[in-house]
Amino acid sequence: MKPAKTETIVFSSALYSAEAVRLAAAVFEGRAAISLSKAAGGLRADVTGPENSAGDFANEALNQQCRLDLGLKNSRYASLLSTKALLSAAGDKPGRR
Amino acid sequence: MTTRKPAKKSAERASGLPYFSFRRLPGGAVLLSNDAGFTASLRAADFALFSAGRLAKGTPLHKELAAKGFVRDLTDFEGCAAACSKRNAFLGAGPGLHILVMTLRCNHKCLYCQSGALGAAGSRSDMSRAVARKSVDFALKSTNPGITIEFQGGEPLLNWDVLRDTVLYARRRGRDLGREVRLALVSNFSLMTEEKARFLLQNEVSICTSLDGPADLHNRNRTYAGGNSHAATVRWLKYFNDSAAKQVPEYRAFKPSALLTVTKYSLGREKEIINEYLRQGLSDIFVRPLAPIGYARKLWPQIGYTSAEFAAFYRSCLDYMIKLNAAGKKIRERNAVIMLEKIVNGSDPGYLDMRCPCGAAIGQLAYNYNGDLYTCDEGRMVGWEGDDLFRVGNVMKDSYRKVMLAPATRACASASNLELQPQCSRCAYKPFCGVCPVYNYETQGSLWGDMPSNERCALSMGVFDALFGLLAKPAGAKILKGWVTP
Repeated sequence: MKPAKTETIVFSSALYSAEAVRLAAAVFEGRAAISLSKAAGGLRADVTGPENSAGDFANEALNQQCRLDLGLKNSRYASLLSTKALLSAAGDKPGRR
Repeated sequence: MTTRKPAKKSAERASGLPYFSFRRLPGGAVLLSNDAGFTASLRAADFALFSAGRLAKGTPLHKELAAKGFVRDLTDFEGCAAACSKRNAFLGAGPGLHILVMTLRCNHKCLYCQSGALGAAGSRSDMSRAVARKSVDFALKSTNPGITIEFQGGEPLLNWDVLRDTVLYARRRGRDLGREVRLALVSNFSLMTEEKARFLLQNEVSICTSLDGPADLHNRNRTYAGGNSHAATVRWLKYFNDSAAKQVPEYRAFKPSALLTVTKYSLGREKEIINEYLRQGLSDIFVRPLAPIGYARKLWPQIGYTSAEFAAFYRSCLDYMIKLNAAGKKIRERNAVIMLEKIVNGSDPGYLDMRCPCGAAIGQLAYNYNGDLYTCDEGRMVGWEGDDLFRVGNVMKDSYRKVMLAPATRACASASNLELQPQCSRCAYKPFCGVCPVYNYETQGSLWGDMPSNERCALSMGVFDALFGLLAKPAGAKILKGWVTP
């Protein structure tokens, strides 16, 4: 097994919110050690873990950012679906409270 | 005075296209779908014309697309809304499936088991009568008008006395409350006796077992130290099949059903497996992929496979079944039936793993032997491994409402919402698909997962590709549609 190595990625604040990168770091708990710090123009991530960890982490950060962007766009319809399902199951009618 | 500039027409508006998703299918056709659940398969050249807004009006294809809501100016919004409402009827229901884990003990040691089964000795992991009765009462609080109580394990027949009592109690409570209660048992049949079988039939308990194919394959997957698992399975399948064929006036005897779990050993043996199902008098086969959860995760290099391998296996199964159907033999594939119910009939087949949001807690509940409640049986398995993320309460302590609004319930409802999933929200298969937060958590470390690299997503895509590929051909379409139309 190859030893863990550290790679650095800088996530530009023009594309990535700090929330997305932090969420990605939380998902990676147990898979790699992620150290986040401020860097010029964004957020710096030092990724220490098995091979491909840095690339996988960048994918996860992108996934989280896309999810956040999509949430802004679709949240009303998405909330309607989830709320109706949850309140119907609980025995409430949406909008009662 | 200021004048307002006229709004610039977007290219989309100018072309008359409403919102839709599309996917290029293997073979060159392009599938369109919309949120109402309508689909259309276009040749690549027609799709180019359609997407450029240059499809000639009045042609049969234009009329078909207009009727299905793919031409904005001719869209029947009320019709689309009605279709949407029918397809999402489950949103107004509540948990319909209640899985009671009667014991964690099992006398089998299946290679892929994800139930967290213990050996057959001891009874510390058996559900007590009090917990079982409380579980039935809890299930009857569901807002869903018709509930199914499914007895599972481990091997539920190892806790027969409590199982028997629970069946009688559920029947009595259902009658008292005027509720429709369906009862189901999932068993490996190794402990079945005439007396137990008669009791189950008389109380209208439907029976499901596992059948992984011919004896050598079944017994390789489903290790049974006490004997021949396959022999017990086929013996009791015949018994319950014969009972269903006879019928008596006192009760309804259901045809038994069986589940196939596909391991690496199944690949390449499609015809043998399907022939075995036919031999045992079964007319449905549920080609279920393996999930890398529980024991299966540890043994994945030995028994697992890629999504592409499963897709090829699945397609071969469908091809063979279509051939058999064309020759007059009745056999259907359950995944296909579930999806076709949505695709062809536009209705909800009640399948909790493939809907938005998924059925975690709001569609089903798993009741562990000790009364702990989980979002689903897979969530219970994660709990068995020491992580109670998917635990939503306990039947002895928590109210129904508290469970339905528990943090894990809400988190799963949100995480499985396809409108919030980057790839899913634009996927052509969105109206028929669903994601599994437990699978995502186990394989990718978060409830949301990451669809472009998610094997379950790839697997579902393979199944849908196979189905829509066959639906695009008249011969295949006729047989597949026949599976979901009387």
